[in-house]
Amino acid sequence: MKLSFFYNISVSTLLLVSCKNNEPLPYLGQTVVENGKEIHHKVGQFSHYNQDSVLMDNAALSEYIYVADFFFTSCPSICPRVAKQMLRIYESVKDEPMVKLVSFTIDPKRDDVKKLRLYADNLGVDHNKWFFLTGDKDATLELANTYFVAAFEDADAPGGFDHSGKILLVDKEGHVRSFSEGTDPENTPKIIEDIKKLVASYKAENK
Amino acid sequence: MTKGLNHFKPFITGGFLAMTIFLSCNDSPYMQGKRLYNANCANCHMEDGSGLTTLIPSLQKSSYLGKPAVACILRNGLRDTIFKDSTFLLREMPAFKKFSATEITNIVNFVNHTWSTNFKETTITEIGNVLKSCQ
Repeated sequence: MKLSFFYNISVSTLLLVSCKNNEPLPYLGQTVVENGKEIHHKVGQFSHYNQDSVLMDNAALSEYIYVADFFFTSCPSICPRVAKQMLRIYESVKDEPMVKLVSFTIDPKRDDVKKLRLYADNLGVDHNKWFFLTGDKDATLELANTYFVAAFEDADAPGGFDHSGKILLVDKEGHVRSFSEGTDPENTPKIIEDIKKLVASYKAENK
Repeated sequence: MTKGLNHFKPFITGGFLAMTIFLSCNDSPYMQGKRLYNANCANCHMEDGSGLTTLIPSLQKSSYLGKPAVACILRNGLRDTIFKDSTFLLREMPAFKKFSATEITNIVNFVNHTWSTNFKETTITEIGNVLKSCQ
């Protein structure tokens, strides 16, 4: 009797968990309805150079889902913590060609292509998997907003910039589908799970 | 007399208990060092001292552990380029001019006490002498 009670509980818990897992990832940001069609928020347009001097824009990533963050190499505050979590994500998606990582520098004056290349080499990551992008400063700070990242110049902030350490998951169409706080290592397993979920949903579509 | 002592027994036990709790909560004997480390160093070297690949060196097995010479790096920072297996690496650490010799001693002792396998306390005299020599 007691055993069956626990059995029921565990089965219903299992169902509950699996139901939740099957739910598609939400579209973050404002969704507007135009002509009866839902239009979800998209990240802004960019045209930035990567660490190998290749010009990259949104179209260059349209075949991939990607994990994005905003940082700068000489950042003495939260960046190394966020980078550590980005590295954890990188390790977890190493063998999944659909996923890329993109780190935008908000300090292009100091972070030129050469500096970013050095940073990527020091981090020891694959240049074709993880892109470090540099471009116009004001455009990048504005772009950050469309990724729901607050970033602005502040002479009083450590390193000259104030910004949040969010890590964002962007789908092939440019919609933000999940995020985590890069400063909190306990947030990371959730976004890794969401990446896998998004990959699986694209693979199911193409079946 | 015995009766009087008995009267204080709960206080003695209570005091001992409080002391034990206090000591076990403050696991490092270098509290100022720990506080300064967490506020100024942990963002890059991390709370567990693990650093970030070759970008930020790990302190856990650092060759600087136990060496007072590290005081100069704390005060003046580091800007160094090295080659490792034909890979060009850049080592940069900001300078912490604001730290006094006492504060540096406390940080050094906290780091050594936490990660060195054969910890020996570094004295403020040793750190002071090193700081004089690194300018």
